[in-house]
Order: sequence, then C-alpha cells, then structure tokens
Amino acid sequence: MTEPSVAQRRAGSPGTGTRSRRRPFTLRTALLIAAFLAPAFVFVAIFTYYPMLRGSQMAFRQWNLYDLTTTPWVGLENFRAIIADPSSGRILLNTIGWVLGSIIPQLVIGFAIALWLRRAFRFRGIYQALVFYPWAVSGFLIGLLFRWMFNSEFGVVNDLLTRIGLIDTPIPWLADPNLAMIAVVTANIWYGVTFFAMMILAALQSVPDELLEAAAIDGSGRARTLFSVMIPAIQSTLVLTVLLRVIWIFNFPDIIWAMTKGGPADQTHIATTWMIQLTQQGNYGHASALGLTVVGLLMVFAAIYLALLSKDNTR
Amino acid sequence: MNLARTPVGRRQLLAGTAAGGAALALAACGGGDGGSSDGSVTITMVESLTNSARTELLAGLLEEFEAAHPGITVELVSPPTEQADQKIQQMLQAGSGVDVLEVRDLTIGPFTNNSWLYDMTAETEAWDGFEQLTDQAKGFATSVDGKAYALPYGFYGLSLYYRPDLVEEAGFDGPPETWEDLVEQAAAIQDPSQNRYGYAFRGTSNAIGQTMSALEAYNAEDLDLENVYQLADGSSIFSSAASQEALDMYIELFETGSPNSAVAWGYPEMVEAFTNGSTAFLLQDPEVIAAVEQSSLTEDQWAVAPLVTGPGGKAMWPMATAGWGVAEASEHKDAAVKLVQWLSGEASTTFAKENSLVPILQSASEDEHFRTGPWAAYVTMTEAPDTFLTCQEPRGVAWWTEWGQRSDTDIQRILTGDLSTTDALTGWDEFWTEKWEG
Repeated sequence: MTEPSVAQRRAGSPGTGTRSRRRPFTLRTALLIAAFLAPAFVFVAIFTYYPMLRGSQMAFRQWNLYDLTTTPWVGLENFRAIIADPSSGRILLNTIGWVLGSIIPQLVIGFAIALWLRRAFRFRGIYQALVFYPWAVSGFLIGLLFRWMFNSEFGVVNDLLTRIGLIDTPIPWLADPNLAMIAVVTANIWYGVTFFAMMILAALQSVPDELLEAAAIDGSGRARTLFSVMIPAIQSTLVLTVLLRVIWIFNFPDIIWAMTKGGPADQTHIATTWMIQLTQQGNYGHASALGLTVVGLLMVFAAIYLALLSKDNTR
Repeated sequence: MNLARTPVGRRQLLAGTAAGGAALALAACGGGDGGSSDGSVTITMVESLTNSARTELLAGLLEEFEAAHPGITVELVSPPTEQADQKIQQMLQAGSGVDVLEVRDLTIGPFTNNSWLYDMTAETEAWDGFEQLTDQAKGFATSVDGKAYALPYGFYGLSLYYRPDLVEEAGFDGPPETWEDLVEQAAAIQDPSQNRYGYAFRGTSNAIGQTMSALEAYNAEDLDLENVYQLADGSSIFSSAASQEALDMYIELFETGSPNSAVAWGYPEMVEAFTNGSTAFLLQDPEVIAAVEQSSLTEDQWAVAPLVTGPGGKAMWPMATAGWGVAEASEHKDAAVKLVQWLSGEASTTFAKENSLVPILQSASEDEHFRTGPWAAYVTMTEAPDTFLTCQEPRGVAWWTEWGQRSDTDIQRILTGDLSTTDALTGWDEFWTEKWEG
C-alpha cells in the first residue's frame, strides 16, 4: 500500500473517502456560484473598474471641464504635455526624495518601537494604543496640525527650539525652499512609523522564543540575534511592508497638500499633488495621463522589487 | 434547515439574488421627478461654500420661503466645501439630483459653456426685484453673454483691516491711504524681536489676489474696467511700466514689513496673524469680520479702512461673488426660479448681514448695520465710485485656476529670490497674451 498524500493526511482522510463525498459539478452549481458572486462583481465593476476605465480613456482625449461638449481623441498628446512640462523633472526628483526620506526613517524607527513593544512590561497595552493612534487620524488633518506646528511665528516647533536655546530667531520651516521638504517628510515619518511598528510587531511575535533562546545559548549577542535571527525570520513581512509603503507614500498627497500645497515654489510638489492641481484646473486629460504614468511607474517598481525578492529567496 | 442544500433553497437564493440585483439597478437608474398628484413639488438645492453656521442660516431662510410658497418644499444639500463644486458638477453632468445650485464666479464659465445652467433671462426681465439690485449685482447676473444664468447673493471685496493703536504708537495720524503709505507704516511697525509684524502678507493659495490689487491700483487710469487684466489698448496689465513699479513696491512690503515665513502664508495664517495681535495690517474680504470680532482684540484695537490707492489716488475694487442658479435639467424650473428670485430679494440682506457679505440690494446701504462699525469702510467705498472703481477680473475664463496656481508658484519664487519681478511680469504677460489669442 502506498503512503497517503500530504493533503490526504491533513484532511484526516483514510484514503478514498473524500472522493465519494464530493458532489458532481453541474450547471446548477455553476449558476449558484455565479449568483453568489454576482453582487460583489457588479459592485466592483460599477464602482472600481468602470470609473478606472472611464478615467483612463480621459488620458487619451482632450478632456477639460471648461468645455465637455467636445472631447476629441488626442492620442498620446496629454502624456507628451506632462513629460514636456518644465516642472516634471523637479516633481519626479521631489517624489523620489519624499518616498525615500519618509520610508527609511519610518522603517528604522518603526522597527525600534516594535522591538521595544515586544518585551512584556507594565501598561504595554496602553503604550501600544498610544503608538498606534496616529494611524487612525486622517492624513489631511495631520497635515493641518503640522502646518501650524511648523509655523515660524506661532508654531510649537520653533517655540520649543527657542526655549531650549537651540535657536534665537524663528526658522521659516515651510517658507524656506531648503527646509520645507524636511518639514513635510518629518510629518509623514511621524504618521507612518505606526504602520511599520504594527506590522513588524505582529511579525516579531510570530518568531518562536525557542529560536531566540537557542541563539542566546549559542552565545549570540543582541545585535547578532537581531541581524542573523530576527530579521531573516521576518524578512517576507519586511519586504511586503516596504513595498506596500512605497506605493502608499508615492500616492499620498494629503500631508503635503495640507501643509504646503507643493510650495514654496514647487519645492515640495510630488506627482500626486500635481495631479490634484491639474484636476483643480479642470484639466482631467492631463491629470488622467499623469495618473496612468504613476500607475505604470509603480507597476515597474513592484515588478522589479518582487523579481529581486524571488531571486533572493531561490538562492 | 440548510437552505443552500435544498432545491427550493437554491431557487429562492437565485431569485433573491436576481431581485437584489434588479433593485440595485433600479436604485442606480431611478430618481423621481419630485412632483405629486396634488401639484406640490419638492426641489433640491445644493450649496457650495458650505459652513455649518451658513447652512443653518440658509435652512432658516428656506423655511420662510416654504411658508410663503405653499406647495413647494426645498431639500437642502450641503456637501463639504472642498468637494462641493465637484459634486455639483457631477450632478449637473448626470442631469439629476439638483434644481437650484450655488454658482460661483469661478464656475459660471464652465457651467454655462457645458449648457448645464438654465437661462433665466425671460423670468428676470419680468421680475420687479431686478431693478432693486446694485449695479454690481446686475452686472454679475448678466455677465455671460448678457443672459441671466445666476442671481448673486452678495460680494466679497478687499478692504484694509488695521490696528489703530499700533499705527498711533508708530507715530502716524491714521491708517494708510496709499500703497506707499502702507509700505512705510508696515516697515515702521515691524519689530521681529517683539514678534510684531507690519503686514499679513499672502505668499500662497491665491497670493495673486492681493498682488493684483496693487498692480490694478497702479494702472487704474489705463485699465479696461470690464476686464482689469487688460489695458485699454488691449495689451495685458503685466506689460506696463506701472506694473513693474507696483510689483517692486509690493515685494518691498514683504521684505520690510512682513515676516519671512509669510512665503507660506495662506488665508488662515494671515487671519491668525492679525487676530492674535502680532500683525498690524490685513487686506481681506469682509468675511473676516466675524473672526476678528471673536478674537482677543478689543473693539478699540481694530478698525477697517478703505482699500489703499495707487499713485493716481484710485483703487480698483473687483469683487468675488457667487449666486444662485437653476439647473437646465431641472423638471421644476418654475419653482426653482421662484426660489432664486426670493433669495435675491429681501432675504439676501439677511443673508449678507449674517454671512459678512457686501449686499446686493441698493436699499441695504441705508441699513444701520452697513453704515456703522467695520462696514462703514465699505459704504465709504461704495459712495466714492470715482476713487474705488467697480470693475471685473476675468474669473470665468477656463484657465483661471491654472493662472492662480502658476502665479502662486511664481510669487513664491520671487519671494525666495529664485525669480526677478521683471521675469515674472514677462512670463505673466506671455501667459495671458497666449491664452487670449487661443
């Protein structure tokens, strides 16, 4: 007698029993399944795919709110206009700076918080709730709060820096082209650290204590345990979290829009704040072309990232 | 009983699913006409510049309207301001869900171009109330090809909010009357070490509004009053030598009389700077009156002066405005027009008072409310039409928002030393000339 398959063993089946319980797949069963799926499919089709397709076709037409009576096809003209725009280069660089400047500190600080929260200590639950709180607040609201905090004359940041004697004249955070990006990135770091902390904490809690005890018995120090045991154990969570966050931060104009609207003089303008601007101008054709370009860029990034990851895993 | 495992249960589920789908489809496609067999109608009104106090005020006025017009019920829809115009646009595009709507000077262009607004010319000509409107109100009412697509409910126009105590302390007899006076007084009052500033400069989010006020005052004698972005000879305002002088003066006001951080100041920062007592001058619309009244400033610490004038002693007084219009797709245009006319009658003065607006009725200037206190400056300006010239900015053009955003960026570039005033004016001149040429 041959050994039962893994699936059979998992199902607790002694051998041929499962086959006899399965009903034949009839047209009626197919219709039933289709009927169950239909409402969800109709909803997704109406509220996701239809608007997406409708929005996408605007990218290839002259689609201006001012005159929607004529919306001729213009081929790739909207894409050409976006690329030829004198500010597109700066906006691309700003976007890269915004994503990298936000995600690296978010990852490092989020990791540190997760390590800290992993240990059992009194009132840990309260600390966890406090740490995770920012994630529940709207990004736009956070932007408004930070806009006032970074206000040069009336903001708490300059007030604190003055009180502790680090500065004697107010720093114009949001008005100085060299500092504005630092201010908006700081707000985003504060906001996004939480997500990393949550994800990494959940992953760390799945690392068996035996593994860490074994490392300790083998004489591994804290740093060695972190880099050689913990991080490899949660690598897939880290990779996916970073990928998700890159996409989200790329598509996250809320904080910048509330704090600077892309200013001063476009210094904090990123692709998605530009998209808002184009939509406000009623230029839906250009906005849609920019949206599709962003989708394309993110898909390329995701493909490369996942390909590298899969190559790394097969080593 | 396990319904899913019985033939009847499956049929019921399938039927239920189908019925649900049909209901969804009906819900998506449906929409009543708001009429009933007894002749009464329900119309929907959508506002744009929503805030809770205003919505409450509007709801009260609508109750009065309903009491005066039995058979007409009005449902007020109040989307958040940020999304309101887009929501109104979607309703107009869909051709349902809206009878009366708030039309702004920024949206009247696209709305009429797309034939979404009902032409109320015939009804307006037959309406007694039209003659009671101020010239400005009549002008907006017929601003698109002479047809009445919307009746205004009030106007927003700049005037100078100032601190009499700080002005006096700095050794001046009264508030500035000209732009040059303003630069001088702001610089004299400015003392960053005391956290005291001269002028609440607007560096972002429609920064061009205040900038244009300076440019228009310096070009007052040569402008086309129907379109103050154009000189009488047809060239753009930005091409004149007076504009260069005005813009340099305006940047001097920033450099000597305003905090450096004002590069990033929009409406909230400007108002905060004035109401918290740190800044002496604020050029703003009357809507800030309520905010100043609720601030820590005492009555003798603030006052309102007329708009400052240019070297020729004149100032342009273009006003932003909004009003009520009727959707072309409305099935109850008679009732909708009645509501618009009623709101533009006596009710408009209540609306203007409670909402800090320059009123649309001629009779309002006799009202004590508008003749005293902070409103007196507005009456002064209204009664001196040769000094404060009524005029129009081209807010209805398709590229108005694009212009606002472009000029915001350029103004910030000037303030941060990345662009000269000469290059900015040249760029603006080219922008408008190209747009006008199509």
